[in-house]
Amino acid sequence: MNWIWTVEMTLRFPLAIRSPLPPALASSLHRRLPILSSPSAAALSSSPPASPPLFLRPLVFSASRSDFLDFRRWAESLALAAGPRLTCDGGPDAGLLGRELSWLLEDASASSDSSVDEVRLRVELEELYRLWRERIEKRRPFQYIVGCEHWRDLILVVKEGVLIPRPETEVVVDLVAEVQGFEKGLWADLGTGSGAIAVGIGRMLKEGGRVLATDLSPVALEVARVNVERYELKDKIELRQGSWFEPLQDVEGELMGLVSNPPYIPSTNLSGLQAEVGQHEPKLALDGGDDGMDHLLHLCEGSSLALKSGGFFAFETNGDKQSKFIADLMTTRWRKVFHNVKMVSDFAGIKRFVTGFRR
Amino acid sequence: MAAFLNFAKRSASKPRCFLLPKNPNAFAVDNPLSSAATAAPSFSTSQSHAQFPTRPRFKQLFDGGGIASGTGEIIRFTQFREPRWISSQSTAVSVPTTADGLTVDAIAAKGWPILDESESDWRSHAAAIAQSVQLIKKRLQWRKLIIRLDQLSFVINKPNLWDDPVYAGRVSREHGELFNKIKEVNSYEHELLEHIDLIKLAREENDEELELESMNALVNMRRNAKEKELEALLSGDNDSCSCFIEVQAGAGGTESMDWASMVMNMYKSWAQRRGFAVTVVEEMPGEIAGIKRATIKLDGEYAFGYAKSEVGVHRLVRISPFDSGKRRHTSFAAVAVIPILGDGSTRYEIKESDLRIERFRASGAGGQHVNTTESAVRIVHIPTGISATCQNERSQHSNKNSAMAVLQSRLDQLEMARQAQINAEHTQSLAEISWGNQIRTYVLHPYRMVKDLRTNYEVSDPSSVLDGDLDGFILNFLSASLDKDGNI
Repeated sequence: MNWIWTVEMTLRFPLAIRSPLPPALASSLHRRLPILSSPSAAALSSSPPASPPLFLRPLVFSASRSDFLDFRRWAESLALAAGPRLTCDGGPDAGLLGRELSWLLEDASASSDSSVDEVRLRVELEELYRLWRERIEKRRPFQYIVGCEHWRDLILVVKEGVLIPRPETEVVVDLVAEVQGFEKGLWADLGTGSGAIAVGIGRMLKEGGRVLATDLSPVALEVARVNVERYELKDKIELRQGSWFEPLQDVEGELMGLVSNPPYIPSTNLSGLQAEVGQHEPKLALDGGDDGMDHLLHLCEGSSLALKSGGFFAFETNGDKQSKFIADLMTTRWRKVFHNVKMVSDFAGIKRFVTGFRR
Repeated sequence: MAAFLNFAKRSASKPRCFLLPKNPNAFAVDNPLSSAATAAPSFSTSQSHAQFPTRPRFKQLFDGGGIASGTGEIIRFTQFREPRWISSQSTAVSVPTTADGLTVDAIAAKGWPILDESESDWRSHAAAIAQSVQLIKKRLQWRKLIIRLDQLSFVINKPNLWDDPVYAGRVSREHGELFNKIKEVNSYEHELLEHIDLIKLAREENDEELELESMNALVNMRRNAKEKELEALLSGDNDSCSCFIEVQAGAGGTESMDWASMVMNMYKSWAQRRGFAVTVVEEMPGEIAGIKRATIKLDGEYAFGYAKSEVGVHRLVRISPFDSGKRRHTSFAAVAVIPILGDGSTRYEIKESDLRIERFRASGAGGQHVNTTESAVRIVHIPTGISATCQNERSQHSNKNSAMAVLQSRLDQLEMARQAQINAEHTQSLAEISWGNQIRTYVLHPYRMVKDLRTNYEVSDPSSVLDGDLDGFILNFLSASLDKDGNI
């Protein structure tokens, strides 16, 4: 592991920072950056080369406005030129890249009115050049560049090695919220990745409610830990390492609910993925085996043991075909175990989720 | 109901509901209160039984050490004239007068010259304040206000009012608001009349200190009057709300789309100058330049009150930067303004089951296959066909919430229109935009000018206007539409 997130309450900056922050400025920074104090000033300390997400870094750099604008113009022209090439495999067009650029600048600089000649930055301007070149030329996902993903009303920390939470998955949290009495139950998020679903659920829980979030990948668990701490959910969410149900043997038959966004892309499709996904995101979180359903089927079987009677499950799938297959299986071969099985569409109209209850 | 649905359909297909200025003729009634002829008799009759406090008692009041300690006593003094105050919440207001029977309207009708504030002449101050009171009343649509208050009082006194708590809440809220508005103006009038009384008495008494106090009080009132006049301009139903501004390009392709984005930028800078927070809710860019349509949200007090003046079609004449032949072009952009009704008065209840939420511009397999920062959402309200899209937030969840807010306000607007149609008392007229409804022309060539076609207000520097210097146009329009003769 080349980066360590610890829980100490101080901010340690990467060695690359030239001017150490005077204590007075450091404390005023805390006030100026609401994100540092809420959600939770959980401390991100890191050692190079990896570093905290852009928006959490201190404003210790600056650039003249004209240099800043020069960068913007350069980045825009790069995006414009690259747009058509990137869209070939389903990558972003120039319009989307333009928006990513403004979000990059939003994360990397302090907003100031245009009459001030100096723009305060969280990284050096050269670093922005490097990052944007990586975005365009190496197709490094925007979310890895800025180190975060806005998901529901959360800002989740992400980095290489953990799947970037998808907009579709936001709905899983809504599905959970519809379950009667969910606020006080014991939940499990299997293959939690960045911890997105677990944090989304955790924030809605009341006294007595808890989420067990598991993942096989230690990198993912570290990132999930950061997100859990940033939203002050340490007492609601417990992170456990291991494959699927392995770390949950002590709660067998006790879960009120079980959710998962398991890898579901058929192995044969992996080579055709857009570069941002195929070349940068972890295979472990994408590869679903031959027909993409290896893990989904395992989850279905496992939940018959893990869920208590009346327990709820929601799984994300690759879409219409997989959802139908799983739903059919549950209403035929496993009809004695599950009931009220439904397919739920995402906002693009694709049957993205299968939900149901343990009898 | 058929009319409502019809309206909804039209609104959904083309631009949405647009506001027009309030129907100016709705309350164009004669105004006996403002004419000097009727004021004069009341002057003479009141004088005959005017009651003055006896001298010793009055002297005693003000020997005690200035206004501060005398305040309580002043209240007792005014009790003489109790009948001239609002006697109860439910009855209309009688006309307040001075001890010798002068009404505010009578003062205004005297034609006393209005001198500079620094001139120590009570008649001049009184005349200036009386004029302001008249203007304020006119802007508040005073008669309409009092009739409405009477109607509400009648409703409020019904014993079964609270059978429908929602309705009762709305009625008593409106009643309270109107009552306070009327009370405020009335006490302002009383203050004026009282100081006039005091000055006259002080002169009889040769009490210079008292005269000076009251004179200063009049000067203060005169200064405040300007502010009150402005406040009265923004006293419409939803004026204090935040709002959405929508701009849509007219026919004419790139030319008009460029103009639409110029108009949108004008509003953004204007809003920033006014201190409103500006959020871009939706933007549909043109293929080559500009915007086909865009919606921004202005957050701040009275955003709707000001911005509603901008509803209509804006016309631009210039040498086209897109025409290689350098010819003169005329472009159009339409502007709509929608108030964001605060909670509690939200008038349209959206049923979750009536909504269809869809990913905007979604394609392909989605899910784990795709990494994209595109998470735009469109929400369609199935019964009305009205939809809203938001694509500027960084998560789908936030886009959905923003789109919901837009949808809610569009449906609220529709509901307001429906209520306006079925409710004769509701005179605010709402109509769909027509491209003939031009309100302002901006000429960049062959000469430079911006002219408002409703008020004839014009400015010879289009760039300052396009940079957001709109207050002149807005205030002129507001006062022109409210200060019309007979609009009281």
